[in-house]
Amino acid sequence: MFQRRKWPGVAAGLALAVAGPLVLTACGGAQGSSSTLTLGVITPATTFKAPDMNWGNESTYNQAVYDSLVQASPTGVIEPHLATAWSYNADKTVLTMTLRTGVKFTDGTPFDASVAAQNLEAFQKGTSNNAGFLINMASATAESPTKLVIKLKQPDPAFLTYLGQAAGSQESPKAWKSPTASTVPVGSGPYVLDAKATVVGSSYVFTANPDYWDKAEQHYSKVVMNVYTTQTTILDAIEGGQVNAANTFDDTTIPQIQNAGFTVHPLQLNWAGLSLFDRDGKMSGPLGKVQVRQAINMAFDRAALLKDMSNGYGAVTTQVFPANSPGYEKSLESYYRFDPAKAKQLLAEAGYPNGFTLAMPSITSAFGSATYALIQAELANIGIKVDYTDYQGPTIFTAILAPKYPATYFTLEEDPVPWQMAQFLLTKNATFNPFHSTNGTVAGYLSTMQTGSGAQAATAAKALNRYMVENAWFAPFFRPQSSFVSDSHTNVKVQAGNAVPYLWNITPKES
Amino acid sequence: MSEAAVSSGALAPDISSDIRAARSHLARRFLKNTLGIAALAVLVLIVLAAIFAPLLTSYDPNAVSVLNILQGPGAGHLLGTDGAGRDVWARLLFGARFTLAGALLATVVAAVLGITSGLVAGYYGKWFESVSSWVTTLLMALPGIVVLLAARAVLGPSLWSVMIIFGVLLAPAFYRLVYAAVSGVRNELFVDAARVSGVSDFRIIARHILTVVRAPIILQASIVFGIAIAVQVGLDFLGFGDQTIPTWGNILNDGFTNLYRDPQLVIWPGLAIVITGVALTLFANALRDELEHSARPSRRRRAAVATAAAEPVPPVSNTIVHDEPDTATEAPLLHIEGLAVGYPQPDGSVTRVVDNVSLNIGRGEVHGLIGESGSGKTQTAWSVLRLLPSGGEVLEGSIQFDGEDLSKVPSAKMQDIRGGRIAYIPQEPMSNLDPSFTIGSQLTEPMRIKLGVSKAEARARALQLLGQVGIPNPERTFASYPHELSGGMAQRVLIAGAVSCEPDLVIADEPTTALDVTIQAEILDLLRDLQQELGVTILIVTHNFGVVADLCDQVSVMQKGRIVETGPARSLFANPQHPYTRSLFDAILDESPARGPYAEVLPR
Amino acid sequence: MLTFTVRRLLYGIVLLFVIVTLAYLLLYAAAGNVGRTILGPTATQATVALKNQQLGLNSPLISRYFSWLGHALTGNFGSSWFTNQPVTTAIITRLQVTLILVLGAVIVSAVASAALGVWAALRGGWVDRVIQVFSVLGFAIPGFLIALFLVRIFALGLHWFKPTGYVPITYYFGGWIRTVTLPIIALSIALVAGIAQQVRSSVIDSLRQDWVRTLRSRGISERSVLFKHVLRNAGGPALSVLALSFVGLLGGAVIIEQIFGIPGLGQIAVLATSQGDVPLVMGLVVAIGVIVIVVNLVVDLLQGFLNPKARIS
Repeated sequence: MFQRRKWPGVAAGLALAVAGPLVLTACGGAQGSSSTLTLGVITPATTFKAPDMNWGNESTYNQAVYDSLVQASPTGVIEPHLATAWSYNADKTVLTMTLRTGVKFTDGTPFDASVAAQNLEAFQKGTSNNAGFLINMASATAESPTKLVIKLKQPDPAFLTYLGQAAGSQESPKAWKSPTASTVPVGSGPYVLDAKATVVGSSYVFTANPDYWDKAEQHYSKVVMNVYTTQTTILDAIEGGQVNAANTFDDTTIPQIQNAGFTVHPLQLNWAGLSLFDRDGKMSGPLGKVQVRQAINMAFDRAALLKDMSNGYGAVTTQVFPANSPGYEKSLESYYRFDPAKAKQLLAEAGYPNGFTLAMPSITSAFGSATYALIQAELANIGIKVDYTDYQGPTIFTAILAPKYPATYFTLEEDPVPWQMAQFLLTKNATFNPFHSTNGTVAGYLSTMQTGSGAQAATAAKALNRYMVENAWFAPFFRPQSSFVSDSHTNVKVQAGNAVPYLWNITPKES
Repeated sequence: MSEAAVSSGALAPDISSDIRAARSHLARRFLKNTLGIAALAVLVLIVLAAIFAPLLTSYDPNAVSVLNILQGPGAGHLLGTDGAGRDVWARLLFGARFTLAGALLATVVAAVLGITSGLVAGYYGKWFESVSSWVTTLLMALPGIVVLLAARAVLGPSLWSVMIIFGVLLAPAFYRLVYAAVSGVRNELFVDAARVSGVSDFRIIARHILTVVRAPIILQASIVFGIAIAVQVGLDFLGFGDQTIPTWGNILNDGFTNLYRDPQLVIWPGLAIVITGVALTLFANALRDELEHSARPSRRRRAAVATAAAEPVPPVSNTIVHDEPDTATEAPLLHIEGLAVGYPQPDGSVTRVVDNVSLNIGRGEVHGLIGESGSGKTQTAWSVLRLLPSGGEVLEGSIQFDGEDLSKVPSAKMQDIRGGRIAYIPQEPMSNLDPSFTIGSQLTEPMRIKLGVSKAEARARALQLLGQVGIPNPERTFASYPHELSGGMAQRVLIAGAVSCEPDLVIADEPTTALDVTIQAEILDLLRDLQQELGVTILIVTHNFGVVADLCDQVSVMQKGRIVETGPARSLFANPQHPYTRSLFDAILDESPARGPYAEVLPR
Repeated sequence: MLTFTVRRLLYGIVLLFVIVTLAYLLLYAAAGNVGRTILGPTATQATVALKNQQLGLNSPLISRYFSWLGHALTGNFGSSWFTNQPVTTAIITRLQVTLILVLGAVIVSAVASAALGVWAALRGGWVDRVIQVFSVLGFAIPGFLIALFLVRIFALGLHWFKPTGYVPITYYFGGWIRTVTLPIIALSIALVAGIAQQVRSSVIDSLRQDWVRTLRSRGISERSVLFKHVLRNAGGPALSVLALSFVGLLGGAVIIEQIFGIPGLGQIAVLATSQGDVPLVMGLVVAIGVIVIVVNLVVDLLQGFLNPKARIS
């Protein structure tokens, strides 16, 4: 709106008085020097106590100070880190890992299998969002200082992936008893938290760990992570040269970011659309009928919604499996066409010629009122009247998971590992399956995904995907594009399935 | 308007002036204030637009159009469409309803709560009043937005509940206004009279008190209304508003979300908010200006004296001069020649208040300048000091003081002369002392500047002077503030101040008029003593012949800006010649008894 | 003076107690399933239950209240549910930042209003009119619109200041100035708009007073009359208004901190209330309550000092 323009008169006089002597002083922000990385993050660190840490947007906090047992490559391939080798037994219920020697935490405690076992148990019992990832772990024991044996209650194809995330992070157990456990990390990672310079919730400062054992992954002498709470402030920081790289909230400012000389790394990590939970019609009779759910899928002009709600950034889809998942099928991207007439016909066939009323929760503070208005309008077109109840914050989850509503609009993550997805969305006791919908077919596919070989699991995942789409368990609209952006001094390799790259994949560009 | 103004008491108008003003046809005067009328008109227009919204647009403000988002103005949409394809003009109009209704709700709640509790507390007092003032302090202590955030967390995002709570928070604004008015009026005689004659409490309250407090309430209401709108918009901006209804804040917020896709979206709600805010501010300012204007009768009187001043000066007639046997041979200390003082009017004419005045005052003389109010005597005195009120200027003539023409010397020189060579004793002692400084500081400040003495020396001199003017406890008075003194003591202080820098000429402007009769005599004695001790020349302005007779050597009589007769006091008193002088003498009560003798014998 | 202060303090403490109790009960009444709120949708029910138990949410409300009260009296306000930072630390570090903004705004407003008000009163004419227009606009335009405008022009357009963030003064003075100037200006504008008008009318008023003529008649210079006497008399009401606005500035800081990304009390208040972070909100309630009581007390004392007539009453 306001381009660079000289502002005459009073303003110049005033500002000159203030800024004059400062013009020549260097600003303390991001200069693109190879020694400091300034990251823009969109959430503060919930805690620094490793057994309670979250992942996703908080992964960089974790990766700055902790090592994990394994590491995922940018495409998701599991690679050694603190664990140098591993193997499953025949029925995939026992995982044996060989651990690295010579690694010490910053308090001097040496890392070994017994510490690793304690960390795993602590995470399982902890309060991380992802504590449930270790739900299948029956025990973790140290057979020797370098041999860790993990017993699982049932095969878990995603288990190794979890060990490359928060669940596999290693902290010195002595730190947990300290009263500052949640704000002062004691890890073995590439950086150390500078508590004096850090303003909790706003700006976190890390300095290089001089004793780090994997110098190849330590690229900066200082890392600063600044928390931004709105897209406007992120854009301001980008345009003001205050960050080297940042995550973004939405796509409304992509052109401006590019204008500022930043590179946009597009990611499709989530799917936006309706979750039609009540597939058995327990709360909403109509939703129990597959034709009704299919009709709902046909009510939406996905291309228009993509343009309206995501500024055109992203891809329309009718499946919930992402493109980098073995379960993905290209033909399922557009299984349903925008056809309100056909939708109404289907509704009539199902016994609802005059439509019906559907109760859904809304959280306008997160998604905006426009989103919900659009959905309401599209459904009204085929005769379904939506009754919203607005929630003001995370309390919406309590309502959704109670379950209090037969369906909801939401933006949910898509995991490249099918089993991880299934555990979240599709299994009988999955968190986002509040009505515990299942049947023989679905259970069969899920079982193969869990215990079968790589090829078998992939086939089963595809089949499950097709089943979901054909039976309209969901009504996906599109995969919105998330954007991670970086400046001209910084190289970035994005991470499959994660909103932000892994910290060691952010490197200074040699100019 | 800024949220920061919520707790600021700057917005509460001065009650006493408002009460006085309200009694004098405020509405009529307000109608003459063009800015205020224009602002009111704009507000009325906005309200009408909100009420008749359905007539002004055919669109449903909540009708989304998936294909039609973020259109610019034109093509069927007057102001374009927003992020969900809704028509912006329709949303503005219907949004006006919600925004204005919400603000109205807050204002009404605040007014009703504040006014009723103010009325009850003011009229009945006692425990109700202490409870109310306690609650008021509580409410005013809370930062508005923070409370609303917390309330919203509990009650949910409903616009109405938030506005009600906000109304409660703002009630103190009305409470204090009404309480002050009521407790002020409660003790006035006519309320007692009404009570005695049996008028019920309710009628007393309604009739006398509410009419008086009407205008300030409107003023306060318009300010509160503006603040309520601003707070609403602020909450919407933070994302805490009710997003399911159109409000100006929501439209603005939607505009910001899409700022980069469609920058012009923020302009319309922004304009609506700013225009309404400006109109409310201007309306409130105009109302307050009119209230204050009409509440300054004293100022108007003085202004009237200054500007309209004398009635037009009558045709010239010569001054009658009583000749003085053996007049002093040396040059007079003050020689005024042909002085004319006037006030230029906006229409270009000049109102003369002093015309062709000539006057001589010899050293050591006490010269009385006598005349009625409006005769120009004080204006003459002020022009010697070059302290005429703003607008006044010396039109003609010269004021020779010890060889220099005071009307022409540079201001730095005049500043030197004032206080050091010519001193001034004003009429009203209480209003002529700076209320924020102690007597001591007001005495010592000029001494240190003019005489260059140290602080301790100045203090010693001041104490001595205070003793000399007859103040019983100089130290205590030195440390006191003007409002702690009586009129007589204040006048003595002013006299002390006048002589403190050893002036040659003292101009005393009706120094005893504002005082009790007994004190008058003392002050006159004091002046006489000082004159004899210090040998100062005195020009005393007065309308009281007794003062002249007591003190003066020479007298000049002024009428309507002219000196009609002048000469030695004895001679003028013995034989007043000018008809005006004679009429003044006649107006004095004579010595004859008030009643005639009793009839000697009653008729049989 | 002493009894007055003590009595006001007692009032304040009772007030604070009432506010705190109300707040506690209301917040918990609205809290819902706290564990779920904190952990989000992806956590399992078991984890959520564990979290609730860890937070002590399974005991009855009343006993929780007294336990909180007991801890609070010793200065322990617990830890934030969402960042796990001790509440006292969080509030104290952020309070310093907000106080700098608010005090800065008070000082800037005082100086600017005095200057503008005096100028308008003395010059009259077009100067007066321009300042009046500025006052109306500054008063009528919401603070955050002004702030956004400032950011666009001065930070992003001209690069004179930083658009976001906060550099502590002890860390780097130049950086501090560059991050703190625009927010303080944004906070001050509405205040200056109102108070400059107040100063102007007070100055005009004072200049009309009789005692001004008497002072001049003593030969006191115009400058002394204006800056020593008139301003002292005119400043009294303006200063007390300014002091009262301190509390309102706290509210204004909430929005300004959001726009400029400043880690102050306002930013955390918004976050805490939107997340329902009860320990932090309670800490904020107490902190703000204490600030407000102290400020009100100081204002009362200040008014007594500035206005001799008020001392007797």
